[in-house]
Amino acid sequence: MSRGHHAEKATGKGDPQCFVGEASPPKFKVGDRVRIRDLSDIFYTRCQVYTRGAEGEVAVVTHESPAPEDEAWDNVDAPEWFYIVRFKQKELWSEYPDVYANDTLQTEFSERWLEPV
Amino acid sequence: MAEKHKPAPVVDEVSDFEVLEVAVRELAIEKGLFSAEDHRRFAEFAHSIGPLPAARLVAKSWLDPEFKKLALEDGFTASKEVGIDWLNPTGFGTPSDYCDLRVLENTPSVHHVVVCTLCSCYPRPILGHSPEWYRTPNYRRRLVRWPRQVLSEFGLQIPADVEVRVEDSNQKCRFMVMPMRPEGTEDWSEDQLTEIVTRDCMLGVALPHPERKADDKRPVHKAANPVHGH
Repeated sequence: MSRGHHAEKATGKGDPQCFVGEASPPKFKVGDRVRIRDLSDIFYTRCQVYTRGAEGEVAVVTHESPAPEDEAWDNVDAPEWFYIVRFKQKELWSEYPDVYANDTLQTEFSERWLEPV
Repeated sequence: MAEKHKPAPVVDEVSDFEVLEVAVRELAIEKGLFSAEDHRRFAEFAHSIGPLPAARLVAKSWLDPEFKKLALEDGFTASKEVGIDWLNPTGFGTPSDYCDLRVLENTPSVHHVVVCTLCSCYPRPILGHSPEWYRTPNYRRRLVRWPRQVLSEFGLQIPADVEVRVEDSNQKCRFMVMPMRPEGTEDWSEDQLTEIVTRDCMLGVALPHPERKADDKRPVHKAANPVHGH
C-alpha cells in the first residue's frame, strides 16, 4: 500500500464519498433514541467525554467512513455508518437553566458508539 | 540582579511547530515533491480565500426556493453553483480533506451556532480560514456548555422561546449556518444580499442586518506627519 493511498482513494470522489457502499446497512434511523456508550479511548477518539452516557435522538444518518479510532492507525477496512445525534442541553449539563429547556446540541458518532434506548 | 531586567527579545521566538513546518517543507523541496515556487503560490492562494462563496450560497437560497432545497439536501453539489468544487478547491489537484458540507437552516424557532470542541474543523473551501477566536480553547469549551452566555458576549441575544442548537463539528461533516433573510431587504438583488451575509452570520454568532456589510468603510485617520504627496 502506498503512503499516499488516502489521497489516491479520495481523488475525484472525495472523502467520505470514497467509502460509499463499504459499510453494513445502518442499524439506526432518524428519530431513534440512542445512548452514547463509554468505550475505551486509550489511544485516539473523536467521541467527546461530555456525551458519554447521554441519551439523544438520531437527527441525520450522514455517511459511511472508517471510525476515527481506526483511521488514525490506518485501519480503513471496516467503515461504519455515522449519525448526527441531537441532545437536550439539560441531558448533557445538569445545571443548564430550565428557562432554556428547548436548547439542544448536535454532534456526530460512528455506529459503535451508539446503543438503542 | 541583572537577570531581573532582561530586555524583551527584539524578534518573537519561533515556535516548535513553525520549526517543524520549515523542516518538512525544506525536505519536501529537496526531495522534489514540490518546488519553492509551488509552495509560494499555494500560500498566496491560501491567504486569498474567504467567506464570499458561502455568502452567495445563502443569498441564492433566499431568492430561489429550488436552490435552497438543494443547498440543504446536498451542500457539496450546491457549492459548485457558487464556484466551489470540494474535489478540487485549490486548483492544485487534491480534494478538500473532507467533502461533506451540511448547511444548517435557521428558522423563527431554531438558531444554529457552530463549534469544533476537539480541534477547529471548519468548511474552509467555502468559508475561508477560521477566525482566531474560533480556534481558541475558551470558545470551544464554553460554547457547548454556556451557548447563550457566549453568544451574548458577541452581542447576540437569542429570545428564550427560540431553541439555540449548538453543532459540535467533530467528524467529517463540515457545517455552515444559513441565517434568516432580514426584514428591509425586499426587492434586493443577489449581489446586494451577498454583501450582508458576513462570516460570523454563517457561524451563528451574528445575524445579518440590512445596514451592515462585510466591506463597510472603516474610519480613516489622518497621518500626523503625512508622507509628501499623500
